[in-house]
Amino acid sequence: MRIRFEKRLAPSPLMTVAVPVVSVILALLFCAAFLALTGRHPFELYFAMLEGALGSAYGLSETTVKAIPLMLCGLGISLAFRMQLWNIGAEGQFYLGAFAATWVPLTFPDLPVFIMLPMMLLLGMAAGALWALGPAYLKVKWRVNEIITTLMLNYVGILLVNYFVYGPWRDPKGFNFPLTAEFPPAALLPTFGGSRIHVGLLLALALVVLFIVIFRNSRWGYEIKVIGSSERAARYAGMDIKRNMLLVMALSGAVCGLAGMTEVSGIAGRLQPGLSPGYGYTAIIVAWLARLNPVAIVLVAGMFGVLQVGGYIVQTFGVPASMVAMIQGAVLFFVIGGEMFANYRVVFPNSKGAEKADE
Amino acid sequence: MRNRYVILALALVFAAALVLGGCGGGDKKPAAPAAPEKMKVAFVYIGPVGDAGWTYAHEQGRKYLMEKMPDIQSTIIESVPEGADSERVITQLAEQGHKVIFTTSFGYMDPTINVAKKYPNVVFMHCSGFKTAANVGTYFGRIEEARYLTGIAAGKATKSNVIGYVAAFPIPEVVRGINGFTLGVRSVNPNAKVKVIWTNTWYDPAKEKQAAVSLLDAGADVIAQHQDTPGPQQAAEEKGKFSVGYNTDMSKMAPKAVLTSAVWNWGPYYVKVIDSVKKGTWKSEQYWGHMSDGIADIAPLGPMVQEDTKKLIADAKAKIVKGDLKIFAGPLKDQSGAVKVPAGQVMSDKDQLGWTWFVEGVDGTIPK
Amino acid sequence: MLKPIITMRGMYKRFPGVLANDNIDMDIYPGEIHALLGENGSGKSTLMCVLSGLYKPDGGTICVEGEEKRFRSPRDAIACGIGMVHQHFKLVEPFSVAENIAMSGQHGSFMLSTEKMTADIAELGDKYGLAIKPEASVWQLSVGEKQRVEIVRMLYHGSRVLILDEPTAVLTPQEAAEMFKTLRKMAADGCAIVFITHKLNEVYELADRVTVLRGGRVTGVLGRNELDTKKLVWMMVGRDVVSQYERGVMPEGRPVLEVQKAVAFNDMGMYGLKDLSLTINEGEIFGIAGVAGNGQRELAEVITGLRRVADGTIRLYDEDVTNSRPADMIARGVSYVPEDRLGVGLVPELSVLENLLLKSYQQPEFSGRWLLDSKAIKERAAKLVKEYKVKVSSLDQPVKMLSGGHLQRLLLAREIAEKPKLMVVVYPARGLDVGATEAVHRLLLDLKAEKTAVLLISEDLDEIMKLADRVGVLYNGRLVGEFPVEEADIERIGLLMAGSGTEGGEADAYQI
Repeated sequence: MRIRFEKRLAPSPLMTVAVPVVSVILALLFCAAFLALTGRHPFELYFAMLEGALGSAYGLSETTVKAIPLMLCGLGISLAFRMQLWNIGAEGQFYLGAFAATWVPLTFPDLPVFIMLPMMLLLGMAAGALWALGPAYLKVKWRVNEIITTLMLNYVGILLVNYFVYGPWRDPKGFNFPLTAEFPPAALLPTFGGSRIHVGLLLALALVVLFIVIFRNSRWGYEIKVIGSSERAARYAGMDIKRNMLLVMALSGAVCGLAGMTEVSGIAGRLQPGLSPGYGYTAIIVAWLARLNPVAIVLVAGMFGVLQVGGYIVQTFGVPASMVAMIQGAVLFFVIGGEMFANYRVVFPNSKGAEKADE
Repeated sequence: MRNRYVILALALVFAAALVLGGCGGGDKKPAAPAAPEKMKVAFVYIGPVGDAGWTYAHEQGRKYLMEKMPDIQSTIIESVPEGADSERVITQLAEQGHKVIFTTSFGYMDPTINVAKKYPNVVFMHCSGFKTAANVGTYFGRIEEARYLTGIAAGKATKSNVIGYVAAFPIPEVVRGINGFTLGVRSVNPNAKVKVIWTNTWYDPAKEKQAAVSLLDAGADVIAQHQDTPGPQQAAEEKGKFSVGYNTDMSKMAPKAVLTSAVWNWGPYYVKVIDSVKKGTWKSEQYWGHMSDGIADIAPLGPMVQEDTKKLIADAKAKIVKGDLKIFAGPLKDQSGAVKVPAGQVMSDKDQLGWTWFVEGVDGTIPK
Repeated sequence: MLKPIITMRGMYKRFPGVLANDNIDMDIYPGEIHALLGENGSGKSTLMCVLSGLYKPDGGTICVEGEEKRFRSPRDAIACGIGMVHQHFKLVEPFSVAENIAMSGQHGSFMLSTEKMTADIAELGDKYGLAIKPEASVWQLSVGEKQRVEIVRMLYHGSRVLILDEPTAVLTPQEAAEMFKTLRKMAADGCAIVFITHKLNEVYELADRVTVLRGGRVTGVLGRNELDTKKLVWMMVGRDVVSQYERGVMPEGRPVLEVQKAVAFNDMGMYGLKDLSLTINEGEIFGIAGVAGNGQRELAEVITGLRRVADGTIRLYDEDVTNSRPADMIARGVSYVPEDRLGVGLVPELSVLENLLLKSYQQPEFSGRWLLDSKAIKERAAKLVKEYKVKVSSLDQPVKMLSGGHLQRLLLAREIAEKPKLMVVVYPARGLDVGATEAVHRLLLDLKAEKTAVLLISEDLDEIMKLADRVGVLYNGRLVGEFPVEEADIERIGLLMAGSGTEGGEADAYQI
């Protein structure tokens, strides 16, 4: 007797809502057992986690700060994923965006703000786009698998930034430490109030609106949808698949590049190694969990922000970092695992009934 | 259509989280309303505490501090990346009422300075950086002096006259260490070379071990390192060669290989800082301690170290502690043989802090 | 007399909407080469897939050497000495030949003795003249070599009954000749060979006996000395003369499509079309008969711009449109109902509404420069669904949930709504029931009345005889016969389809 999973034709709406909620609760209960075993009060910790991430203006603002690059990269990735282009290169595009944006204040430190920031923005996006265009071109021209090329270019991008930060762009006043000079004030993105939330948030939200329009109601969005669902049908309908691949990858890279630009200009204020603790990779999970829906990406990015920000708070209760990583991992595991039950039905074959042919 | 439900679901989770967070805030008891308010001290670590390496050395320092001053309370946050996260973590520690915050990685420099501006009544101590403020001090130690001594052990132990050095990043701190070590090696064995490989990681045991293996394959028979893991030591142990550890005594991880280790001893300094803060005498400073302060030392020599070597090391150590032996005293030649520091002079602290060239005897390049 | 090694009695196999095998009996004797002849869709492959354990039968019994067997998987069949080489090889590309052969291992032990296996494989290969290198990786092999690997694999696992599904389809004539030699040697060794084919000349060349299937039933079993072309063709395609649709005789119109000496390659880089010429006039239905895989797909794609011609020209209303882009052909009024309805003609995951937009999303009525006019789109979709009686629960329903007949209606609705000058339809009624078939046929006749030129590619001769004004037979990439439907003789078409009756039809299956 074998248990089988049968795909549901259309998951019920109730399931779609209930499954993620129940998954998160189960994950927390699961970890609670562990925490309790190690002699801690799990629910006190959970409250602290949430309070730290959401319970104060500062926590809330920091959760948002953490979520901005995830939102941007997630949006960029979602665009390519919609066309079944597996852009795993958000991390590299992020770094290239930061890199190109940094070039402006380092080369022209005296530009006025209204030239400086737009220029950084444009260059950052252009560099991200270029970094994604390479793999896209190879795919279009020789069908080179973009998963490999974009992934590999991540390392190239990170090492390129390292090279400049350790070498030519090293701050002359920085005792040879791997940092560029601090940006002049004109190169820093404006922030809101006293928080670190920067204009990148508005850009991300604007992109959400733009993406909704594109996917709901635009000719181009329709083409992406068709190409993403069936390339053969798209060709049959006379769509220019190659041009769209290049365009979509470029835009996807540009948005990830924008994430890098906003991070370097809004948060770090200088280029340094380790600017991204893997935003480009986390954003893949974000985009996927959000089912590539722009609004959902914002919310999932927020959830990740909570997990991250709350995670450090929990450490002040004497919980080691590895335990925090376990909680974060368990939440993801349960949510993704829950997806399975939303989309599939478990079938227990009854031994009496005649077995149906498999084919 | 389905997507709408996804959003609804996420919004619910989010809302639930907010509500729970809010309740949590209301219910939470104030942290330990014990009788006399204990002074709170926090440490921010770059890696996990683990059982060896940089973070472990700081953790040993913290434990020492807690032992000496049981009337304080301490918090640690480990594995904090150097980007946007560190600033938040430091802020939250300050917000929670920690009076002294030690930030123990170079990349925490800007975040520490930024947070310090907002919390003028909190003392911040940043390890290994160069920026200070009225409430921010920096601290570091001249581990090169200990490395010089380990260099003597290595220089005497090598047969192939090739010593491998697994190095993290081409920054002055690491360059200084390599130079100090090499000078120690060459003080007893002028024919030996120190071959350097950059890993561009601080904490990647597999990669660092692999780097050591390739050095061993290239003929090295002693492996030194500047990393946060004992990976290189394990490589030497497996190949039956010698090694020199760093950060903490690594003889536990590779008992047959480790000649000795250059080790940090932060504890006494932490006690000093807290003591001065308590007494109100703390002032911002750029502390760069010598071996004579006890902040850097070498671990006990392994049983394979020859008696005459032991004596050489003991003599050199005594001289360094007394101040008779300045390891970076002239004449210092670079790799091309050009004299950079003439005889009779000692390299200035400023030049040491921004050191970007190797001394004669190093086989390797610093990326420009 | 020899006892049969396999006896199948009353085999039934039903797929949704189709009865693929209907009460089939078949005997297979050791040492014989047994041809299984029939048109596409006659149930040959299904029957053999049942015998080799890939499909479970809905009824009937299989006996191996008189003992009744039930196969739950190909593994069980292999254990009984029955092995099948499919048209699509089931090999793992990155693995070596030896590994592939070992993979479906019945030889129990977990560890493999590589040397022994390699030697065994080489010995088997030598014995039957199947040159393969056990250590080569499969991805490096040519199609012919892969086929040899499949055969050796079956022999290695002790097959006494070897089933080959259209083995020559992927081979050059030289390779095919080699293969035949091998098969004869195996038969001489007492192995039973069943090969599926629709080519008469192969039957003549190779078969000791032939079983002919039509519509899932056995229509005849002939021994080698009873072979008779006329008889075989009748068994294969023969049927009562079909009733004609009422159709008006159209006055001769202008030529719409002229294809001259078109040469095109198929996806495997072999000739798909060879010097093919044809002309279709306004208001005319040109029927292309032929067994699938003889260039039908290439012909349709060349005309719709989806495949390039290597040589020759294509003209539409006297304008040269050779190698135009698909979008241009659409703009010029060429509609296309492809063979793969779901996946090419329609996008399974997308809604009815979105699928109806596929060809018109760039037209100014439905879209501005950037944004789509959703109101106009909805209105038209609702109108089309109503007009063509497509049964949908809502316009937002994904089309993958529609039934075959309604899928085809939806597809035709969209293509006809474009008011095409030329309509290319491929296998329009495949898989549809009688009612749906007739509805589709009506639509095509209506189009003809609108003076549209229609290219009807079909493997169903009834359909062609009912609808077409002129008939051509496609064989091996060439148009081997062309005549008005009144002169068409179903037997002659059948002969042409099977490759006999043409001068040197088989000889020019050359490879580039």
